Amino acid sequence: MNREAILKLLKQPVDWIEERTGVIAFSAPLLFHHVPRSAKWWYVFGSATMMFFTIQIVTGVCLGTMYAPSAANAWESLRYIDEEVPLGWMLRALHGWSSSAMVVMMAIHMLQVFMHGSFKYPRELNWITGVFLLLTVLALAFTGQVMRWDQDAYWGLGIGAAIVDRVPIFGDQMRALMLGGPIIGGETLNRFFALHVFILPGAAIALVGVHMTLIIKNGISEMPKPGEIVVPSTYRKGFEERMHKNGVPFFPDAAQRDMVFCGVCLILLVFLAAYYGPFGPGGMPDPTLINTNPRPDYPFMWIFGAVSLLPPASETAIMLIAPVVGIAILVAVPFLSNSGERAPSRRPGMMLLAVFVVMAIAALTWEGITSPWSPVMNGWSALPTPAQFVKGRTPLQMQGAVVFQYAQCRNCHELGGFGGKRGPALDEIATRMSPDQIVRQVQQGGGNMPAFGKNLNSAQMTAIVSFLSTLRPANEADSTIPGAQLPLPINSPVTLNEPLTGREVREEISAGVSSR
Amino acid sequence: MILLQTKTLFSCLITLALVACDRMPGKPTKETPVVIGSPSWTQSTFNTNCRGCHSQGAEGAAIPLIDAGYWKVASDAQVIQVIQQGQGVLMPSYLDSNGGPMSAEEIAALVKGMRSLWGAGSSGGQGGISGTVVAGNASAGAQVFAAACASCHATRGSSGSVTDPMYLKLISNQGLWSAIVYGRSSLGSPAWNEPMPNRPSGLTPTEVADVVSWIAQSRPTSPADEKLTYQPKNKNASDAK
Amino acid sequence: MSDNTKSDAQKEGCVGCGCGGGNGSSGSLPPVAAQDARRGFMFKFGAGLLGIGGVLTALPIVGYIVGPARSRYRNEWVDLGSTTLFPSGQTRFATFLNPIRQPTDGDSAKTACWVRCVEAGKFQVFAINCAHLGCPVRWFEQSKLFMCPCHGGVYYQDGSRAAGPPPRGLFEYKWKVEGGKLLIDAGRLPGLEESV
Repeated sequence: MNREAILKLLKQPVDWIEERTGVIAFSAPLLFHHVPRSAKWWYVFGSATMMFFTIQIVTGVCLGTMYAPSAANAWESLRYIDEEVPLGWMLRALHGWSSSAMVVMMAIHMLQVFMHGSFKYPRELNWITGVFLLLTVLALAFTGQVMRWDQDAYWGLGIGAAIVDRVPIFGDQMRALMLGGPIIGGETLNRFFALHVFILPGAAIALVGVHMTLIIKNGISEMPKPGEIVVPSTYRKGFEERMHKNGVPFFPDAAQRDMVFCGVCLILLVFLAAYYGPFGPGGMPDPTLINTNPRPDYPFMWIFGAVSLLPPASETAIMLIAPVVGIAILVAVPFLSNSGERAPSRRPGMMLLAVFVVMAIAALTWEGITSPWSPVMNGWSALPTPAQFVKGRTPLQMQGAVVFQYAQCRNCHELGGFGGKRGPALDEIATRMSPDQIVRQVQQGGGNMPAFGKNLNSAQMTAIVSFLSTLRPANEADSTIPGAQLPLPINSPVTLNEPLTGREVREEISAGVSSR
Repeated sequence: MILLQTKTLFSCLITLALVACDRMPGKPTKETPVVIGSPSWTQSTFNTNCRGCHSQGAEGAAIPLIDAGYWKVASDAQVIQVIQQGQGVLMPSYLDSNGGPMSAEEIAALVKGMRSLWGAGSSGGQGGISGTVVAGNASAGAQVFAAACASCHATRGSSGSVTDPMYLKLISNQGLWSAIVYGRSSLGSPAWNEPMPNRPSGLTPTEVADVVSWIAQSRPTSPADEKLTYQPKNKNASDAK
Repeated sequence: MSDNTKSDAQKEGCVGCGCGGGNGSSGSLPPVAAQDARRGFMFKFGAGLLGIGGVLTALPIVGYIVGPARSRYRNEWVDLGSTTLFPSGQTRFATFLNPIRQPTDGDSAKTACWVRCVEAGKFQVFAINCAHLGCPVRWFEQSKLFMCPCHGGVYYQDGSRAAGPPPRGLFEYKWKVEGGKLLIDAGRLPGLEESV
């Protein structure tokens, strides 16, 4: 058979299908629609997001074959997938890392669209469907964290429930709706399971469909050039003409760059998954195991950071209103400015805004990771007093150092670089506060420190103050030499005297007087 | 034939892929159950619960437990008793029935584990002196203090003194006993039988008991939980940071 | 407008009359006007039926999903054990199985609380959840403080707020002593809108 005959033979079934489905007529524009010649590497992030989403669906379905969506068994089943199922851990790792990658790619894609002004006429709805896709993906990430059903998941739900609970009037009902009852339990996991595997992926697929349809309808925007302004009345005609004249088909001209980038992403993904493994599960979800330090996954770390930095007075209002306002602003972006310049150099205010948002999220994420507001719960019993603060101290000062540990001061205060960061580091406290002031602060608290007055007796207070009064840099006059004058502020029975010499002691003893 | 070969090759490849992938560094290790009393358990339990005060060398303000000298003198029964019931004012009880974090079995296992980690093979009670405080003669102690201790340790009311009433309210006789018996070599304090500036031969067990009795005499008799009533002397000065 | 024209044209050929290919083959078509009238009635009838059916179907579905929001759950008195477990002047950890639980809850039905015996026969029972965002607080006997690991909420031994972001003190359970046992009124996850 010659080539033509073969082609003809192949064409027959294809034609048969095409005549009945129109699949080629439908999908050809997806592949061959014209994109601007200027669409270069900036445009790969949307495709990468899409690819990671596909991986999420495939690995998610695979995990669905093993995962037990029941509060009684979920944690065990994940351990089983990790430890017993061949390559089960790898599938979990791929699902977890791909989830993070999807969030990252999505954020970059969104940032690029924002910076290039691509959301302007006629692509307003591209942007809005994108915003809803972002929300859907974040919801998938949160519900995915719940699927792990470990201590982080349990207490993370608790945090979510506590926030929802703050809604006025309906808070209680909304919380019950979210948890599937009045407690975090079996119904809660299954609710989030239904969200994670049915509702949210369904919504995401539908939104991706609309997003893609809009891309075909409106085309990919050109790289912005200063001076090329968007005028809604003439834009579409001009754009279509330019595409017709100068555009290149998406496949293969633009797709090849997507392929390169996605390939690199995939290789990185497999490497990360194989090298760093899956996320969790952490400790078993038993709420009576309270030696736990709940932290959310990275996409939510900035929210975790933000809620701890809010002023308590306006906290509830901000927690409830800020998300609504934030989403409203995102949706409103293309309506606030849907024409005019697209070039970043002509939109300095917008660029500044973008930089600010990125930096704010990065800073809050960092705060969330380091959590300087969290006490080091076992700091008092685990972090030894550094040698430089023990050397050369008098017996009372040494006992003061013990009281310092005993009273859990270390949970919130650093010594020698170790300890809580909630309060100030006390390495040089004696240079900042007089013993008087220290006593007052310890006793009465204040400035976000609890009052310890009721819990320390006079000896403990005297000891801790005498210890803290020695905390100053080595080059400053110190009061650590045994018997040196220490300004004791307390109405203590202690009288400050020069130390007795051996001879004096002997005299005193021979006089039959105890040293008291 | 070709089919068979392909099949073999294919299954070989799949096996290879499975084996290769399943040995990546990311594969979670099977959680080994925690064995109470094992060295790793002992170390981590100590690190979380004890190390803040009882560390090693010059670190930590209370008696170091990572110290062979300590384990030579102290007996298991004594250490268990202290961890279970607490000691003096500042050592809390760690027993669960007292609100602490550990069961009696865990405390016993911890002590056994610490001895095997840091005890250098000794079984306790071997230092030539009791690990627990022994009553002595206070007036004899006064003489010993003047002769052997006073060259370094001040007395009478000065804040650096070992007879500072505030210090004595925080430390029990057992604490004084341990301080003398073990010393803190890394802080320049010799143990009871090591050479001291005015006493190259060190002390005898009787002398230690006498000195402890004498120092303890200075302890105020008012209850240790007496509450502090403090008024800043100069309010303006205090407020001025 | 063009759609209407088109559907009129279809009507002529009896494509859009909805009576199916089998019945539309003969020439015994009713007059166009009668056809329109019947269509109007059929349409309204159909929309009504579909509406009723839809509501009937939706009711159980919506009811099933929003069911948990209705308060069909009741707190119950839970036994925390003999009062001798809680010495006077001390604060102790206690756990219980939540009376509101389902068969699939597993470990998550376990619940913890802090019991403070103020003096013999007088108690305070605190929920484990921080009043800020619900993380589990821990008791520190030496400093007589509760501390939260999440955002650093701190409470005094009587549950009142000492420092950090919590908007109020710890949640307290109602308690009573019966037959030498300490009982608490427990169930719901504590929240700001309620006292437990």
